[in-house]
Amino acid sequence: MPALLALRLVTYLMVGTGVAALYGAGLIGALGAALVVLAILVGWGHEQARERGAVRPALGWSLVATAAAAITVDLFYLAYSLLDGMVHLLLFLILLRLFVRRGLKDLRDAGLLSFFMLVAAAAISFNVSFLFVFVIFLMLGTSMLMLNHVVTELEQAGQRGAAGTAARRVFFRGPLTRVSLVAAAITFFLAGSLFFIIPRVGQAALPLRTQVGRMVTGFSDRVDLGSFGEIENDHSVVMRVYLTDESVDPARLPTLRWRGVAFDQFDGVTWSGMAAPRRFIRRGAAGDFAVGLPGTSSPPLRQEIYLEPIGTDTLFGAPRVLRLELRAPALVVDDMGGLSTSHAPARLHYTVESEVEPPARRGRPVPPLPAGERARYLQLPPLSPEIAQLAREVRAGARDPETAARRISEHLSTSYRYTLALKRQSSRPPLEEFLFVRRSGNCEYFAAAMTVMLRSEGIPSRVVAGFQQGEWNPYGRYFMVRFSDAHSWVEAHIEGRGWVTFDPSPRAEAPAETIPGYLSLYLDAARMRWYRYVVNWSLLDQVQLAQTVHRQASDFRVGLSLPRHWRMSPALLTVAGVAVAVLLAWLVGRHGPARRRTGTGPGMPAFYARALRLLAHRGLYPGVAETARQFASRVEAATPERAEAFVRLTGHYERARFGSTALTESEWQDVTRALAALGARRA
Amino acid sequence: MRLIWAVIRPLFHPRRTIKPTRDGWWCLLVAVGLGVAAINTGNNLLYLLVSALLALIVVSGILSEQAMRGLALTGIAPAEIYAGRPALFGAQIANRKRTLTSYSITVELLAPEARAIESGRRFIYFRRIEAGIERFATWEETLARRGRHRLAGVRIITRFPFGLFVKAGRPALADEVLVFPAVRSLSGESLRHLGDLGDAGARRRGRGNDLYDLRNYRSGDDPRFIHWRSSAKAEALMVRELEADTSHDARLVLVGRGHAGAEALEAGLSEAASIAVALVRAGAGVALEGPGVLVPLGHGRAHLRRVLTALALYHPDGARPLDPPAGGGGRRLREIRIPLA
Repeated sequence: MPALLALRLVTYLMVGTGVAALYGAGLIGALGAALVVLAILVGWGHEQARERGAVRPALGWSLVATAAAAITVDLFYLAYSLLDGMVHLLLFLILLRLFVRRGLKDLRDAGLLSFFMLVAAAAISFNVSFLFVFVIFLMLGTSMLMLNHVVTELEQAGQRGAAGTAARRVFFRGPLTRVSLVAAAITFFLAGSLFFIIPRVGQAALPLRTQVGRMVTGFSDRVDLGSFGEIENDHSVVMRVYLTDESVDPARLPTLRWRGVAFDQFDGVTWSGMAAPRRFIRRGAAGDFAVGLPGTSSPPLRQEIYLEPIGTDTLFGAPRVLRLELRAPALVVDDMGGLSTSHAPARLHYTVESEVEPPARRGRPVPPLPAGERARYLQLPPLSPEIAQLAREVRAGARDPETAARRISEHLSTSYRYTLALKRQSSRPPLEEFLFVRRSGNCEYFAAAMTVMLRSEGIPSRVVAGFQQGEWNPYGRYFMVRFSDAHSWVEAHIEGRGWVTFDPSPRAEAPAETIPGYLSLYLDAARMRWYRYVVNWSLLDQVQLAQTVHRQASDFRVGLSLPRHWRMSPALLTVAGVAVAVLLAWLVGRHGPARRRTGTGPGMPAFYARALRLLAHRGLYPGVAETARQFASRVEAATPERAEAFVRLTGHYERARFGSTALTESEWQDVTRALAALGARRA
Repeated sequence: MRLIWAVIRPLFHPRRTIKPTRDGWWCLLVAVGLGVAAINTGNNLLYLLVSALLALIVVSGILSEQAMRGLALTGIAPAEIYAGRPALFGAQIANRKRTLTSYSITVELLAPEARAIESGRRFIYFRRIEAGIERFATWEETLARRGRHRLAGVRIITRFPFGLFVKAGRPALADEVLVFPAVRSLSGESLRHLGDLGDAGARRRGRGNDLYDLRNYRSGDDPRFIHWRSSAKAEALMVRELEADTSHDARLVLVGRGHAGAEALEAGLSEAASIAVALVRAGAGVALEGPGVLVPLGHGRAHLRRVLTALALYHPDGARPLDPPAGGGGRRLREIRIPLA
C-alpha cells in the first residue's frame, strides 16, 4: 500500500477508534456515533472525489460553516454539560480537518486531535472497553506518527514541485511495517510499566459522570415494598468480591451474603432506618477502621470489594464486619451495623475483614437487648389482626424464640412462592395482599412478612437489604454479584445468641438464571483485573509491589548462592572463568571488529587469498586503492626473491577472476608451485 | 583521573544533540498537562494516557538512537574552489552496524546557501541505509569571496520514528578551505594579445610539437608517443618527449597595492587568476610578482595552485613592495601588468 494512502487510512481509523472511545464512555449515543462515522466515511469519499477534481472547495466550506453554526449553538445551549459541549467541538474540529484537508498537516492534526477523544473518555469512563480502545489506538497512533514522519520527510527532501509524488511511490510494507509494529509493542509495554511505577500521589477517583441514582430506592434510608422488583430483573454486575485468602473454599460458605443496610421502622408500606443512631469512626493508626471486636477465635474472612458506582453511600460486606480498609477520612456506622461513607472514590474499592457467623455456635454469650432497643425492634404499624393470628398459628408449640423464628421462616419459604411479577390483585395493603391473596412475592415481601410476624410474637427483628452471594468465578477467584442478586432477609434477636440471620425467601426454587459460559467468566475475570490493577491501582498497591519485588529478589539471591562444596573448590571457578573468557574471545574474534584488511573479498580465488595471507605474514598488505599489479610491483621492491612467484600468481589471479575461461590444468600446477615458492622460508 | 574525564567529557561534548520538534513540544506539553490532571483527579486512566505519551517519547529516543548509532559521515571537499562559482561537495554515509538498518536519515547542509544537486534543498534524505552499506550525498555550495573560508559543514539528523525529536550528530566537513579568486574563461587569441613579447623561448618538456628527447617506455605512457624506429634500433620500447611551446610564458605583475577600493582589488586579482589559469592550461609557464607576492616561473597544475594560493591570500595591508627582480640572470618573459589600483 502506498505510504500516503496508508497514512490516510490509519488516520481515519484512529478517528474511528476515538469515536468508539466516546461511545463506550457514553459521551455520544449510538445515533451520534453512527452520524460521526457516516461523516468520516463521507469525508473519505469527499477526499477521493476532490483528488479527482470532482468537488468544488465551496462545498466543503459550506458544510463546515453549517457545522460550525450548529456546534456554537450546541456549546452554549444544547450540550448536557461543558464536557459534552467540548467533545462535540472536538469532533467538529476533527471532521473539519478531514473535510477541508489541504496537506499532510491537516491529516496529522486530525490524528493527534483524536487522542483527546481518549482523554475525554478517560475522564468519565472506567469500563474495560477503554483498554481495548487504548491498545488499538496505540498501535494505530504509532503507525500514524511513523507514516506521517516518513511521508513528511520525503516531501521535504523531495524534488521541487513534486511534493507528494515521492510519498506515493514509497510503500508501507516489509521492514517499515515491522518497525512500526515493534515500536507499538515496545510503547505498549513501556506504557504499562510506567503506569505501574508512576507514583500515585492522588487517589483513585470517581469518574466525572456516573450512573448515579440507580439503586437509591433499594439502598437508602427508606425502601418501599417491592422496590427490588425492578433491579432484580437486571443482570448487570454491580460488585465483585475477591477472596484474598486462597485457602478459603467458596463451596463451604453457602450462606455468605453481602450485607448493606438494615431497617427497623415499618409503616405498613415502607421500611426505614432513619432513626438509627450513627457514629463516625476515624481512621486508626494502622490506616484502617476498626468496626467491631472478634467474637470467636476463627480467622476473619478477608474480602476485596470492587463496587460499581451505583449511587449509594452504603458499603457492603459479609456480616459481621470487624475491620475495614478504605481510602476515606471517616466511616459512618449505624447501630444496626450498617456501614457507609460519603467519600465517593472510596466506594469503588475497599477491603473488609468479617467474622462469618458460624451456623450453630458462638463464642461468649450476648447480653439481652435493653428495653428501649427491644421496643424499637418490636415496633409495628396498625395491621390486620390476621397477620398476628397467622404468626400464632405457625409458631404454635415452639418452646423458644429461635424455634418460633425457624418455623415462621420455614412456613413462608414452603407455603409461598417466589416471583418477580408483583402486580396488585386487590386493594388490601401490600403485606396483607402478599400473605392472604397473592401468596407470592419477591424477597422484600418475605422478609417484611417474617419481621412483622416475629414482632407480633414479641421477637425483636429487623429487615436487612444487601446482596446474595453471587456467582463464583474460578478464573479470578471472586464472586460476581449482579443487580439481580439484590436481596432482603431478616435478622432476629435471640436471647443469648444476639442477632441471628433468617432467610424466608425461597429464591433457590425460583427458575435458574442462565449460567454464563466459560468465555463470559473469562471476560469478567479480565474485567475484574482491569478494575483491580488499572482503575484502582494505588500507592498502597505500589508499595506492596515494591515489597514483593524486593522479597522475590532476596529469594532469588539466596537461591543463587553457591553450594558449600563449590566454595571449597576455587579451582573449579577458575576453570569456569577461563572457559567463559575463551568463549568470549572466540565470539569476539568471530563476530568482533573486522581484522586488518588483507584484501580478501567476495569473488577472490582462494589461492590468491592464500598468497595475500602469506605476504601479510611479512607485513605486506594491498592498499585500499591499489590494483593487483601495483601491489605486485610493491612486493617486487620489498621482497625481490618472492616477486617472481607472486607476479605469476597475480597473472593467474587476473585470469581466474576477470577472464572468461577457467584456469587450465598446467596453470593450476603453476599456481601450486608459485604458492610453495611464496611460502618457502627461504626463497 | 582519565577515567573520570572520560565519563564527564560526553556531558560537555555530547556525541549527539536532541531537540524537540514542534510536534514534540506539543507532545511534552500534553504529557505534562495530562500528568497534572491525573495527579489532581487521581484518575488512573489519565495516568495510563500519560504513561503512553511518556513511553512514546522513550521509544522515540531508543529507535532514533538505533538509527544514528554506527553511522559514519565523511565529508569530501573539492580540491579547487573558486569564488562565485558553485563547488561540488560530497559526503559519504556508511552504516557500520552489523545487521540493523538505519531508517529515515537526513544529511543536513548547514550552510544556508548550500543546495543538494537533485532536490535543490538543504536536506538530503535517505529512507533507509542498510547495514554495511555506504551512500553518497552531493551538493553545491558557492563561496562568494576568495581567501580562507570555514565551511559550515554537514551533519546527520533524524526525526525517526515519530517526528517528535530531531537527533543530530556532530558536524563533518567543518574545515577551513582556501577559495581561489573568481576566474573567467579567456580565449587563446586574447591571451596572445596580453602584454609585450618576451625573449625567445627556452627548451623544456611540454605539449608542443617539436621533439625534445627520446627515453625508455614507462608504464602509463601514451602508446601514441612510441617511437618505433628508435625502439627497433634499441630493441626496447622508446617514446618521444615533446618540447613545450614556451612562447606564451609570462610574468604576471600586480601593479598597485589595492588600496583604491575592494572591488578594483578583487577585479584585478580575479583577472590575474583567470590569466594564470588560461596560460597554464595552454601549457605556458607563469610567474607572479607584485607587492608582497613573488611566485617564480613554473608550469603545471601544482604551480598553478601556488599562483592561485598567492592570489587567494593576497591582502593589501600585508603587501610590501618587493625589490625589483634581479636582471640579466635569465631570459626576459612576456610581462602582463594587472592593475590593482
